[in-house]
Amino acid sequence: MNQTSGRTLVDSRGSSCPGPITDLAIAYRRSKVGDVIELWATDPGVKADVNAWATKTSNQIVSIDETGEKITVIIRITKR
Amino acid sequence: MKRALIVGGGSGGTILANSLDRHEFEITMLSSSFGHLFQPALLYVAFSHARARVVRDERSLLARHVNLLHDEVTSINLKKKTVTTRNGVLFPYDYLVVATGMHTDTSQIPGLSEINAEFGDYHSSLAKAERLSYHLDGFRGGTIAIGQSSPIIKCPPSPLEGVLLTDQLLRKRGLRKSSRLVYFTPYPRPYSAEPMNEVVEPLLEERDIEVMTFFDVKRIDPINRTIFSIEGDKIEYDLPIIIPPFVGANILYEPADAVDEDHFIIADKSTLRIKGTGDAFVVGDASNLPTSKAGVGAHLQAKVVAKILSGHPATFDGRTSCPFDTGDGRGTFVIGSYEAPVTKARPTRIKHLMKTAFQRIYWISLRGTLNPAFDVYFKLTAPKKAAATGN
Repeated sequence: MNQTSGRTLVDSRGSSCPGPITDLAIAYRRSKVGDVIELWATDPGVKADVNAWATKTSNQIVSIDETGEKITVIIRITKR
Repeated sequence: MKRALIVGGGSGGTILANSLDRHEFEITMLSSSFGHLFQPALLYVAFSHARARVVRDERSLLARHVNLLHDEVTSINLKKKTVTTRNGVLFPYDYLVVATGMHTDTSQIPGLSEINAEFGDYHSSLAKAERLSYHLDGFRGGTIAIGQSSPIIKCPPSPLEGVLLTDQLLRKRGLRKSSRLVYFTPYPRPYSAEPMNEVVEPLLEERDIEVMTFFDVKRIDPINRTIFSIEGDKIEYDLPIIIPPFVGANILYEPADAVDEDHFIIADKSTLRIKGTGDAFVVGDASNLPTSKAGVGAHLQAKVVAKILSGHPATFDGRTSCPFDTGDGRGTFVIGSYEAPVTKARPTRIKHLMKTAFQRIYWISLRGTLNPAFDVYFKLTAPKKAAATGN
């Protein structure tokens, strides 16, 4: 986990389920409203999990991009 | 003779110490504890009144040539290749293996320290497991809330084992109809990995266990007996069984970026070398490797490091094989690796017997004498690699 001024990079590439959602939960625990979490993953299951997580926590998914095997999810923390 | 210094006397450190060639290495183990706890037994101490011998003297588990010293390590300088202890002793090393495990930290969640002191848990210590057993004995009906308070956990199936064994216990005592069992988890589903969840979810429904997903504990109000989540939910309880957050050992590292925010050691996931080093390794729960924190990992990692130190090529593939007691005399195993996601495995009586049998052979397994049998088991149960990882 790499954190710089309100933006946290979470690199979960190569980690299968539940690795990415675990890493996201840890980053969320350490975040505050206004922060941005950028999650990198290769497990395709991360898309469904992150969508369910954002719905439950009322946080905002800014984007989900796939480049090759890499999935990049940008999340803005709007509720803590 | 090369100096191999092992910090920590749990499963990983003990197996490694016993695996190294005494003609090749001068082996020293630094352990802050005299006793070696068989940690999986705490589940049965808490929920089944198990009174088997769960702690043994670490000295009795080590080969005679291993030099065991009891002192607490306070700092490790990976650049100067030295380890310093609480008593101010400095140990230089040629090879270092950190096997300091992880421990519970109730201070991370407001209210948890009070709850934990009163009700205990089944992950911290024998005394805490006995405390929990005492409260389960005294329970006469109401709501039991059980779950993990943080995503980082020792033995991923253990929260579900706890709730399923609680259900079994209440049924045996005729209290199930007057009790509500609520299982909470920070994950989107009861078992974090979907294939095993397909096994677990029907079991929970069948046993009338309520599930609250995405429940990441924020604080506990011991006076009003309520647990609040970061996500905005709450559970009122009569008996709380809360698995505390875990952190790595409180050791000062040089360089400081060898560990993450929770004091877990950053290491290469295949060679287990600590970040930026060629001669320092980590085994077991002390690392931040993307694999389950469980005894089987410590066992396999210790064997990999022993081979590397002896000059043989070896890598760790992230293999897990966590026994999972689903109650009523049945069990299963959660099996996976870095490249093979966890697979679905239905509970059977034979698998439960295997888990029970392991408790009897654990102490012998630390000596390495059962390694050929374990090698066969791991080969026979090797998970299939997926073309693309997924749930």
